[in-house]
Amino acid sequence: MKPDNRLLTILALLAGLLFLSPVLYSIWMSFQTATAYYTGGFEFTLDNYGRAIGQYNFARYLFNSLLVSGLVTLIGITVATMAAFAFARFDFPGGNLMFGAVVATLMIPSHISLIPNYLTLAGVGLLDTYAGLILPAISNGFAAFFLRQYIRGIPRALDEAAYMDGATPLKVLWRVIVPLARPAILSMGLYIFITEWNSYIWPLVAVGDQDLYTLQVGLARLYRINPGEGPIDWPLVMAASTITLLPVIAGFVLVERHLVRGITMGAVK
Amino acid sequence: MLRKLTPYLLALPLMAFIAVFTYIPILTSLDLSFREWDFMSPDRPFVGLDNYTQLLNTHEFWNALRVTALFAVISVPIRLLLAIGIASFLVRETAASRLLRGALFLPSVTSTVSIAVVFSWVFATDYGMANALLSLFGLPKITWLQSPTLALWVIIIVNTWKQLGYDIIIYIAGLQAVPTELYDAAAVDGGRRFHVFRRITVPLVMPTTYFLLVVSVIEAFQIFTIVDVMTQGGPAGSTNMLVNMLYRIGFTLFDIGQGSALAVMLFVLLIVLAVIKSRVLGRKVHYEA
Repeated sequence: MKPDNRLLTILALLAGLLFLSPVLYSIWMSFQTATAYYTGGFEFTLDNYGRAIGQYNFARYLFNSLLVSGLVTLIGITVATMAAFAFARFDFPGGNLMFGAVVATLMIPSHISLIPNYLTLAGVGLLDTYAGLILPAISNGFAAFFLRQYIRGIPRALDEAAYMDGATPLKVLWRVIVPLARPAILSMGLYIFITEWNSYIWPLVAVGDQDLYTLQVGLARLYRINPGEGPIDWPLVMAASTITLLPVIAGFVLVERHLVRGITMGAVK
Repeated sequence: MLRKLTPYLLALPLMAFIAVFTYIPILTSLDLSFREWDFMSPDRPFVGLDNYTQLLNTHEFWNALRVTALFAVISVPIRLLLAIGIASFLVRETAASRLLRGALFLPSVTSTVSIAVVFSWVFATDYGMANALLSLFGLPKITWLQSPTLALWVIIIVNTWKQLGYDIIIYIAGLQAVPTELYDAAAVDGGRRFHVFRRITVPLVMPTTYFLLVVSVIEAFQIFTIVDVMTQGGPAGSTNMLVNMLYRIGFTLFDIGQGSALAVMLFVLLIVLAVIKSRVLGRKVHYEA
């Protein structure tokens, strides 16, 4: 590496740290006692995490977020892959119309379904349940659209060879398409997981029972309904915020490139 | 026979989800917007356009429309200008640019609620980061989030901070598609950096700019989370966006009819923008062909 490259890298690192400094400082703050924070000192503690997890139920919220995001991803990617396979490989009456309907969901703003979905779920008694959190989140056509484009790029000869050997369509999907489309499926899975993890308005509307709060709703509540009198307990709030941020940041560091590829492909298509 | 059914069976689960949770709700919203209902009472009388005329007669609606439009009109150009400027520096594949891209991109995939909470602290009057920086220069404290003139700017700053990395990534993808010979030619001509940027970079990424412009405006009209956490639409309605108003009418007041009417009006507005977007993108594809 040339010396001026190293200098540039250091400058870039500093600029990046400066840009992220509010979040970095909030993580740092979550490890101090409130007294030290308000008097300008520093005293290391894990007590904020202890209280967030114990007293303020964040262990439960973490579990809920993992469960809901995990299931939305699993079900979402499964139905999307199946549909994408149908749209990419079969010529069937109504197929284009259905694919059009899938693509059009990308243009439909989600707020229009807020009140109706609330009513639908209330009608079948699914408000305040995990199913109520999960089901409406699956009606997004982006993954199916993206995977259909990707599957069309896989040579048809591979399917046909498998059909010659007597494979059923499901077997072709599972044995030929899914392994070859793995990078795209992983990108989309990641995309769905992150979108669902960060989702706020639907969990806010669909759930009133505190034991079903996701991290997003729990964190917003903890911040807004300031526990106790006097000034906000910022170190406690930041511990809760860090619990909410960290899984995605950790995942981001591991798979940034997949994510960027998924997002730019979606935009440029 | 089964062979013929196969594609339908494969597509069925997704189509069912989309029908129940995306398409039927559009019709339900339309229907409810012509009715008066509080979610509790057994009947939902048809009231024609009453919900719409009532909404159009409230100060809250026009204020929310104005604030949301203002938010979009201010924040989108700021985002795009910053993004294209930064992207033109980060387009080369060096360690430094990859590092900085990663840092800038990170907020766009992290939790909006967390970011809103962190920035509530940054802009807190007491013990906040912004006022701490001001006091370093001997400047007085500012009540950022309690000020009707400043609160909207804080929302704009936070939203820009979160979304900027996405815009940059998209611009970089656009810039990397520009043939490098054009830059080399400009360099041979002795073009200065800003000149090259204005005369070559900006015109060549115009399709990307159109795309981002429309996507960001559509997104700006749907802003909810940052406002809900940081200001709840206040102070004095100065940050009350359309979706925040929708949430309040629908889920605090349980005025299902009026909430639906508001949802339908916002829907029509966004669909018009989305159609403009597909036209613009259609043209882009045409250019490339």
